[in-house]
Amino acid sequence: MMHAFETLQLAQLAFPAEMNNSVLAPYLFVSAAMFCIGLIGFMTRKNMIIMFLCTELMFQAAGLSLIAFGRHHLGSDGQTFVIFVLTVAAAEAAMALALVVLLFRHRESLSASAWKELNG
Amino acid sequence: MMTASILSSFTSFVSPAMVSDASGDHGGNASAHLANMVEHVGIGPKWVLLIVFLPLLGFVLNAIYAATSNKTKLPAWTTIALLAASFIATLAMFLSYEGTPYTVHAFDWFNLHYGDKSFVANFSFYVDKLTILWMLFVTGLATLIALYASEYMSHDIGAGYCRFFAAFGLFVFSMSCLVMGDNMLMLYLGWEGVGLCSYLLIGYFYKKPSAVAAAKKAFIVNRIGDLGLALGIYLTFVHFGTIQYAELFANETLHNYINAAAVGDFSGIPGEAQWIALLLMIGAFGKSAQFPLYVWLPDAMEGPTPVSALIHAATMVTAGVYLIARFYPVFLISENALPIVAWIGTITAFLAATIGMAQFDIKRIMAYSTVSQLGYMFAALGMLSTTGAAFHVLTHAFFKALLFLACGAVMHGFAGQLDLRKLSGVAWMKGWGIVGVTMLIGCMNLAGLPYITSGFYSKDMILAEAFITPGYRLIGWILVITAIMTAYYTFRVFFRVFLGEQHAEPGEDFHGDDKSDFHPHAPGWAVNTVLITLATCSMLAISLAYIDKAEHHGWVGSMVAESTASFHSPYAGAVYAAHGGGELHAVAGPVGHAAPGTVLGMDAHKGMILVSGLGAIFGVFVAAYFHGPKGWQGLFVGGRTEAGKCRMDAVAKRMGPIPRMAENKWYVDEFYAMVLVTPLRVIAHVFHWIDKLLLDGLVNLVGFLPRVFAWIIRPSQSGVLQGYAVSMVGGLAILLFVVLVVVMRAGGVA
Amino acid sequence: MTEKLAILWPEIFLFIATCLVMITGQWPSRAIRAFTPWICAVALFAAFGAAMSSPGSGSAHGGMFPEIVPYAKMLIAAVGMLILLLLSGTVDRELEAEVDAGKPFSSIRSNRGEFYAFFMFSLTGLMLTASADDLIWLFLALELTSLPTYIMVAISTERKKSLEAAVKYFFLGALGAAIFLYGFALIYGATGSTNLSEIATVFATQTANGGISSLGMIGLLIAIIGIAFKIAAVPMHFYTPDVYQGAASPVAAMLAFVPKTAGFLALMFILGTVGWNDGTAGGGHLPVAIEATLWIMAALTMTVGNILALLQTSVKRILAYSSIAHSGYMLVGLIAGPGIIGGPFYQNGLAAVLFYLLTYGIMTVGVFAVLASLEHRNGDEADDMDDIRGLCKSHPVLGWTLVICTLSMLGFPPLLGFLGKVGLFTSGIAAGQYALIVILGINSAIAACYYLRLVAAAYIDDKGKVSSPVYASPFATRKIAGVVSAFFVLFLLVFAQPMINGAYNASKYVPAVAGEVEHNDHTDRHTQSSPAKADEDVALTHKALID
Repeated sequence: MMHAFETLQLAQLAFPAEMNNSVLAPYLFVSAAMFCIGLIGFMTRKNMIIMFLCTELMFQAAGLSLIAFGRHHLGSDGQTFVIFVLTVAAAEAAMALALVVLLFRHRESLSASAWKELNG
Repeated sequence: MMTASILSSFTSFVSPAMVSDASGDHGGNASAHLANMVEHVGIGPKWVLLIVFLPLLGFVLNAIYAATSNKTKLPAWTTIALLAASFIATLAMFLSYEGTPYTVHAFDWFNLHYGDKSFVANFSFYVDKLTILWMLFVTGLATLIALYASEYMSHDIGAGYCRFFAAFGLFVFSMSCLVMGDNMLMLYLGWEGVGLCSYLLIGYFYKKPSAVAAAKKAFIVNRIGDLGLALGIYLTFVHFGTIQYAELFANETLHNYINAAAVGDFSGIPGEAQWIALLLMIGAFGKSAQFPLYVWLPDAMEGPTPVSALIHAATMVTAGVYLIARFYPVFLISENALPIVAWIGTITAFLAATIGMAQFDIKRIMAYSTVSQLGYMFAALGMLSTTGAAFHVLTHAFFKALLFLACGAVMHGFAGQLDLRKLSGVAWMKGWGIVGVTMLIGCMNLAGLPYITSGFYSKDMILAEAFITPGYRLIGWILVITAIMTAYYTFRVFFRVFLGEQHAEPGEDFHGDDKSDFHPHAPGWAVNTVLITLATCSMLAISLAYIDKAEHHGWVGSMVAESTASFHSPYAGAVYAAHGGGELHAVAGPVGHAAPGTVLGMDAHKGMILVSGLGAIFGVFVAAYFHGPKGWQGLFVGGRTEAGKCRMDAVAKRMGPIPRMAENKWYVDEFYAMVLVTPLRVIAHVFHWIDKLLLDGLVNLVGFLPRVFAWIIRPSQSGVLQGYAVSMVGGLAILLFVVLVVVMRAGGVA
Repeated sequence: MTEKLAILWPEIFLFIATCLVMITGQWPSRAIRAFTPWICAVALFAAFGAAMSSPGSGSAHGGMFPEIVPYAKMLIAAVGMLILLLLSGTVDRELEAEVDAGKPFSSIRSNRGEFYAFFMFSLTGLMLTASADDLIWLFLALELTSLPTYIMVAISTERKKSLEAAVKYFFLGALGAAIFLYGFALIYGATGSTNLSEIATVFATQTANGGISSLGMIGLLIAIIGIAFKIAAVPMHFYTPDVYQGAASPVAAMLAFVPKTAGFLALMFILGTVGWNDGTAGGGHLPVAIEATLWIMAALTMTVGNILALLQTSVKRILAYSSIAHSGYMLVGLIAGPGIIGGPFYQNGLAAVLFYLLTYGIMTVGVFAVLASLEHRNGDEADDMDDIRGLCKSHPVLGWTLVICTLSMLGFPPLLGFLGKVGLFTSGIAAGQYALIVILGINSAIAACYYLRLVAAAYIDDKGKVSSPVYASPFATRKIAGVVSAFFVLFLLVFAQPMINGAYNASKYVPAVAGEVEHNDHTDRHTQSSPAKADEDVALTHKALID
């Protein structure tokens, strides 16, 4: 693990050569960490806006991985993918805000646990 | 000697041991004729589909009439028009037939192909001359009987009328599918379809418990046969890999088997292939009311008379004959099937005739005579005479429909009266002349009076065949005796009901207060027209025996010859040759090769004309003596002066319990009840209790366990969003852990 | 590009209709507003026709499932039409009533335009899923399928329960999407390509060289479990009953079909990249880890769905749980895979799944149509078991539709559902998954308990203790949707041949051959690198990370 950080260098330095594994590793690590933080935040927080931000965090974690892999493989696919991920994330954000506003009007609360009438 | 012949015919009618010299020259192309038949199966014109789908349209329209509560005779006229159109299309099919069979495709049904195998059963139709022969009389008679029913059923105008004609249309559609289908699945569809319609129509008077019971009985007994048929189809597919006629009859394996069977060598034919015929035979026994499955047919007379005439006399019950005729090549390769068919047919013919002699209900007498005549047809099939069977099917269709319809007219006119002891001299009543004359024609045909009736020619062909085909002489004599009995019970009805003093008691449908007030209600123009047409047809059918007589034994023979029901002389030749050496000489003395069978030292055909002709006349005179009225009406031998009394009463008394036993159908129904139904009931009760005590407990436990699990995991559906998220992520983690750590460690591979 | 356009005509038709209905739905004139569903219907017809004549699939994706597109899109368009019939009157009912009473039309309050537009967007996304040949495309198509449904749930009724359903559906859906997106990222990392055929080639090469890299395998597993959200399979199934119950019945019917179909198509494509060969020539098994995952998911999904359905009194919840269970059944087909190449239908699990999707779509629309056609005086939908009691007497058409469709869901022999289930059974047996088939059989028996309860409630009349009677809702098209579904359930058995053939052809699968990937379309690549080598590197990196 430490090995990876010792050889830390900017991804662009070696361009156009392939990004080697030791450079890739920290990016993946950060991405995985972001994803897990997002997951944990989603499970523990009750505020719906925070929960939504957690899903955004997870989306961007995947995006980070994609860019790192794209650089690793020297392809444009990863970057392209990320652009689309951002678009989808923006669309979801728009929907989330609209939905949260609608929900807030009904319950005067942003807590997700206010909605538990349907169960069983 | 006789016993030996019976035994040999029972066990193997072409026993390998008897094959001495009939080998190579016949055997090689015994199947050549069949191969020719199916070699160039063409594509037929699409209008042939009209024959099948017009009756279906009738069903649909009648259903619409029923839904719109039609209260006119419109259902009848619609049905008659559509059936007549179907008949005309059939005629067109007959006239335009150019000698090669063809198929007509309606739409894909099952069309599965996988690898080099396939299962194809499309909604398409196969037309050869056997198809045409059957369709001609099916659609023709259906049209006529629909016309008859338009009057007969008129007291039920409204919902019942629509229901009747809807089922009628559906029946003709199903029958067409049965006869015209180009594969065994279509045949099965039609087979079940006619069974369903038969059930619906027998139970037409569904408020009458006996009608409901009869419908149930018919359905259940038929199921036994249907099981045989279904297994037969399955086995055909398993063994030959196809259930399409064109492919099946062109199948090389089948041809090899036929060629082997033609020289009497059954050892190379696997038992599986031989079982096909036996299973199909069981199906045929069920549908065509053969011993021991005949019990449903007499009860089926609970249905309206037009139904009895069409379904239970003329068309549906001949489906078994059609089945065997159509699959004759398959029957030829089975060592035991055809002898069993012949013997079952003979037993049925004889047994039903004995019962028929003792019945008093005229419709039931006709029902038993139907069973008996079907027995003749099966005997003919078993004796390698598909022509005889088909010819008898045709003539029987006409005269039996005629007899039923005449009886139906009586039943209709006398408020449901069917007891021959309570009717007399009907022919002399006002408006009943036509019924009387046509009934006489029908009776003459059924009795088989020589030269002047078509029934004589067809029956004669079967009887002669029994003496020609080696090993069946006993059958021949039994059938001759049965023929005499047939003449007796037929004319018993005629002499008692139609001749003599005029006397009539109304039946159970009479609702007046005073029975002396009763006035019979003479049939109208529709009934009379149909009766006259049928009588004419019965008489004209005589001519069929003379068309193409030299080559094919009549027109029907020429039709059968161009179908899968025919087999050319190499096969029969081998059979005769195989038997000719041993048995015929032994039984009937020296004969030349030109006349393989003899009766009383004469050529079989000529001898039979004498024997059966005289037998029939003798039967008529016996009937006249015991039941005929005094004077010329009783042929000057009768002595009856009152409706309910005759010379037979005294004779019956002296015969002890026999007449009573015959009247009670030899207690076959009771026997079945005792041997089959009661034990089954007992077993059912036992199982019911086992079920209740043991299985229910078990099932309750099994049913209980999932509920317990459900209660345990139900809290996971708490309705809280975070809870779900935790469960989902936790599930994901556990799943990944299990798979990556446990499974991959254990499996050792990625 | 032009070849790709040739398979996209159905989507293009739907998209044009989407744009149109957004305008017509807000139009002040009542006649034009009422025209909105007709535009959808015309577009669906056009899409159906275009799908019928469309080529198998785009050029690049042609490698793996060369024939899937026409069948999948025809299926989507056909069931889409049934759902469209069901959707009438779902939104704007009060508004339209007010307009009838003389109030002016307020386009701000009207939801009709959005509602139908979202419906069409969702179907467009579903069709795009069927055309997908790339991970990016697949991701976008799946999101396009799901996003509109979140809003549709929210606006489907004016009750709070719809909002609750929407919030659960949306948040958990976003979670699911993030999970499978992460999986997609790892797959891309492991293979260096987003093109499914190229991914398949790389995986085949890796398999030939000793096994799929662990990075790729983890990516696949995460992606599969993420997509499990779409098909409501354990452990991603929790939202299903709440969402179905909260949404209006027509929308619930749509939820039962649309995301499930998208999920199964996506799973097919993802699994197609690793193939059902696993070394043996005749084919038969997925790689062990994936098969184990799917196996556990299938077994749990069937069981959980069925046993939880036993305790419900809400018909919609029962249907939701049964929807979960049906996903479990279909997973069996995915596990079984296409069987031997050119083998018969009954050994082909993928064909069975494709056929079952059609079957399930029709049956489920039929049952939901019955619920949608019944309502209480206060406008509440029928949902409780009491509401369908004695339905065969009080509303015979609806009652018998319910009985027929429910029996079909149970897999009762002469009905369509039976035919669908037989394929799953036989393909599972052919693939040697005996344990799973036993579980499937037991589950079918358990399922009989609650399906027969529905049938008995509808058929046996013990009305009398009902406090709030139900009435037929005023939308005839919903009833028509039910009757049409019941008709298909009854008679498709006879005419199923074209559908079975279609499913069979569509399931044609061409396994990838190990070898060099040709990156023709990647002009920006500066140095050609061997993907296999790159994967080894990545795998090593990943190992380093985990350690």
